[in-house]
Amino acid sequence: MIVRAPSSHNSPRPGLRRGGRWLLAAACLAVGGASAAAAPARIVSLNLCTDEYLLVTARRSQIASISRLGADRQESPLAARAAGLATNKGQLTDVIGQRPDLVLTMGGSQQAAALARRLGVRLVAVPYPGSPAEVAQQIAQVAALVGNPAAGAAFARQLAALQQTAPPLRPGLMIGGSGIAPAQDGLTAGWLRLAGVAQQRGGSISLEQLLVDQPPILIRNVYRPGQVSAPQAWTRHPALAGLHGRRVAADGRAFLCGGAAMPAEIARLRRALA
Amino acid sequence: MTARLALLCLVLAIASLALGPADLAALWARDPDLARTLFLELRLPRTGLALLVGAGLGASGAAAQALLRNPLASPDVLGPSSGAALGAVLAGYFLGAGVIGMAIGGLVGAGAALALLLALAGRGAGTTRLVLAGVAVAMLIGVAITLALTLAPSPFALYDLMFWLMGSLNDRSLPQLALAAPLILAGIALLVRAAPALDTLALGEEVAHSLGVAGRAVQLRVIAGIALATGAGVAVAGSIGFIGLIVPHLVRPFVGHRPGAAVLPAALAGAALLTAADVPVRLLPPGIDLRLGVLTALIGAPFFIALVLRRD
Repeated sequence: MIVRAPSSHNSPRPGLRRGGRWLLAAACLAVGGASAAAAPARIVSLNLCTDEYLLVTARRSQIASISRLGADRQESPLAARAAGLATNKGQLTDVIGQRPDLVLTMGGSQQAAALARRLGVRLVAVPYPGSPAEVAQQIAQVAALVGNPAAGAAFARQLAALQQTAPPLRPGLMIGGSGIAPAQDGLTAGWLRLAGVAQQRGGSISLEQLLVDQPPILIRNVYRPGQVSAPQAWTRHPALAGLHGRRVAADGRAFLCGGAAMPAEIARLRRALA
Repeated sequence: MTARLALLCLVLAIASLALGPADLAALWARDPDLARTLFLELRLPRTGLALLVGAGLGASGAAAQALLRNPLASPDVLGPSSGAALGAVLAGYFLGAGVIGMAIGGLVGAGAALALLLALAGRGAGTTRLVLAGVAVAMLIGVAITLALTLAPSPFALYDLMFWLMGSLNDRSLPQLALAAPLILAGIALLVRAAPALDTLALGEEVAHSLGVAGRAVQLRVIAGIALATGAGVAVAGSIGFIGLIVPHLVRPFVGHRPGAAVLPAALAGAALLTAADVPVRLLPPGIDLRLGVLTALIGAPFFIALVLRRD
């Protein structure tokens, strides 16, 4: 999966030759730091979730581009940090022209890996995380790759603090459009536990079931609320007004990846549920 | 015939209201308020829409076959259903219209598709020409729906394609029933009132003219009726196939093969067929989202094949 780039790409010199002023600054920094000497200077992310990892670990000057989703305020709570950064369409072929020395993606495909090998691009595809702890590991991995291990340690501390202060578990249900509920043992449920909510069930839940077997806490996954779609129409069904329990809205953008934007969202959910 | 079909609709409606994942009687004993909400907000709209949408499609099919004097004419084969879906999609996803706006879009779309078909093929056109024109119109509109949903702002919109092409009565609401019911009923009433004229038209345009039936006026009334009866239904339940095509064939032998006289029985038979098709959908475990159009085709296609074979 990981392909070594030609060694010249790892040094700051090609950047100097191309002559951007911000690259000059990056080069000075790179020369100054001991471990940062080998840090990649032109990093590209092709995936919303690795966009978020990159935004919390790398220096802006190291980021050549992120996916267009990562810079979209409707997709990521961290999009504000991406203002002014170049964006790509999430395909390896789009970013070859940016001469990246590190390409990050999540999941990834065999074709993309093979293409990266042929083109001599260093592609790192992190797997889909299954728990908050795995998210912290991946952020630490990306932080090490970009030469800023301190950012990985900082996220791990944030997660540890959330785990130590986790409120007692209460049964509840997070549900999105069309009645789709995240699995009880998945990444989303792992984050919800840190907010003090034990996901009661997962899968597809009909309005009728929801009315008959009402969750004490209903967490609505709110994502692109203003845009028309069948899942969106489901969330406005009048029968939902008949629910008695506590209702809280979650920021669906943070839960899309369940990644770097989650500690802030969990803190917010805790306040909303307090 | 009509009375027996109405009785069948009543039986199916009661079955449809009683069936569902939750035991309504037990719930009534435990929490009457909740049972009332469940009945009024979920079961009633679903059963009501199954009856009405089915009736609208059945009546539209019978009227279309009578007007075009063609056994293959029906809202789903020749475009009005897809036209209604396109109209509703454009109104809802792009103009931000609510339930009412989408219904208006559905009416306009169904009427426009039918008008386009008549302009292309002309009334009384040969079967081949009419069906070719209809298939072309339906294909064009189907692709336009896909294109519209692809370009819609919401990333989920394209997933709604199945709803618009195959139809569903899942999680319909009381306001949707309240909106669609008067429109569909008005459409069926228009079509039923046009029935005698349609029977006269079956004798040939000149004979009809000599009997005081103006072809143009009948045509306009039937187009308006189909636009209302099909368009309003599609706007809230997607385009459900096969009912408009097969139901008129099922009832026509019972009305002496008079095309106009088949309109009202076709409405009742359409209501019964769609309500019956919706019962298995709601008995499936959650997560298996079987589309209504799949079931109407599964029930309807064998009937239709049998009809075709018997005719030869």
